[in-house]
Amino acid sequence: MIRFENVTKIYGNKKALDRVNLEINHGEFISLVGQSGAGKSTLLKLIFGEEKLDGGRILIDDVDIATISEGDIPFLRRKIGVVFQDMRLLQRKTAFENVAFAMEVAGYMREKIEKDVPRILEIVGILDQMHSFPHEMSGGEKQRVAIARALAHKPILLLADEPTGNLDEINGYEILDLLQKINNLGTTVILATHARDLVNKIRKRVVTMEKGKIVLEQEKGRYQLVPDSI
Amino acid sequence: MESITLIRIIKTSWTNFWRNILLSTAATLVMATTLTILTVTFLIYSLTNVTAHSIQQKVDVSAYMKSQVSETQILAVKDEISNIPNVEEVQYISAAQALQNFKQKHAQDQLIQESLSELDSNPLPATLDIKAKNLSDYPAIAQALSDPKYQQYIASVNFEDNRPVIEKLSKILRITREAGIALAIVFGLIAVLVIFNTIRLTIYNRKEEVEIMKLVGATNWYIRWPFIIESVFYGITASVITLLLMIPVFQYALPKVGGYLGISGSAQSILPFGIGLLFVWQLAIALILGIFSSLFAIRKYLKV
Repeated sequence: MIRFENVTKIYGNKKALDRVNLEINHGEFISLVGQSGAGKSTLLKLIFGEEKLDGGRILIDDVDIATISEGDIPFLRRKIGVVFQDMRLLQRKTAFENVAFAMEVAGYMREKIEKDVPRILEIVGILDQMHSFPHEMSGGEKQRVAIARALAHKPILLLADEPTGNLDEINGYEILDLLQKINNLGTTVILATHARDLVNKIRKRVVTMEKGKIVLEQEKGRYQLVPDSI
Repeated sequence: MESITLIRIIKTSWTNFWRNILLSTAATLVMATTLTILTVTFLIYSLTNVTAHSIQQKVDVSAYMKSQVSETQILAVKDEISNIPNVEEVQYISAAQALQNFKQKHAQDQLIQESLSELDSNPLPATLDIKAKNLSDYPAIAQALSDPKYQQYIASVNFEDNRPVIEKLSKILRITREAGIALAIVFGLIAVLVIFNTIRLTIYNRKEEVEIMKLVGATNWYIRWPFIIESVFYGITASVITLLLMIPVFQYALPKVGGYLGISGSAQSILPFGIGLLFVWQLAIALILGIFSSLFAIRKYLKV
């Protein structure tokens, strides 16, 4: 589904990604682990076009994303759902409106939005908070709204960048369960995190990054420190 | 799908306008103030022009004809003078007419009346009153009149007597006109900057929203339209407010100022076009500035 070929990204004179090769298949759940600054977020940003790469190429369903024109980037983004670490919810909109907004942008009809949003909010478990504003919700609840928004336009790929970064352990596990549930429904999920306990619980493919490079790949892996990089 | 988007965009613009009512009001008022200043500057400029024109109308030079020159000859000379470049109009006043004008002008003056009745012939010469297109054209016309071919007909031209006054007036009018244009340019630039900055502020206030829209897959035009339509709301409201503010100016201020300057102060005589067209101009300026500012200010946040 997604293939990284020698992908390089440079910020100033620092290589955020250094010739990364990675293949992700449809329906997979991948945990991308590593310390802050290892290049996890950069990798995600490249996939949905928030950043542009400086070398190599990224193929999504065999289409080189560098060949996608500026005007078509929005259509790529509508196939991808993104959960940001800082959530990026609109403070002046309710949970319902935050989710509906993503569907409006993608051009859905009003009736469909009215019908779908409550269903999505139910899946993420905050139907009762539908008309609450972000400042009236807890961190875990806000993160669920963010996930609901990422799912609203039915993406084939969900990118989650440190979705548990600001949450306590219990909420973290719940969010993780939610992501797995979404994955079980057929959506490919890429989870970038440095939360070791979470990753160890998933027992799915783990890709470990270190200083812009992939240093370890395991099927059914655990988050472990790589001996030669310590 | 297209029409859903259109309705949605207009609805979004309307909601944004009301949800940010304080900022919207501020933006509209700033726009209205700027438009008012621009309009007033324009009015002052028009007023200056009309006044200048009216003063110019009062200036002419007179060529006094020799007494033995026949009327036919005078009319021939009149035609010839009319063909001198920049001559607007030549008016023939016969000796009899001149005397009558003079008598009328001094009807109250007993001494003059008595002196005139003592005379058995008309002491006044026939005259050609010459008006130039512009004040600055008089020296050249006076020059042309001094041509030898006119010597046998024209006794004297009063240009030299009036020369200092005409030149001074000409200079004052020129300076006033240039100052008016400079003022209009300065206020125009201020208007552009103020409106641009105000619109930029309203967009800055929602930059997060714009960025998130981009990230969930909104196209650039989907994001731009509501801002453009909002600017259109500002522009229309501001133009209407400005027009309302202009009503007392047209009703009271202009006639008063006009009376003081010795011209008609009605809107028709001061504006080169009607009030309706003035409104259209205000609206056009407000819309162009608003839309241009929106497009320019939003550019930065679309680069996500």
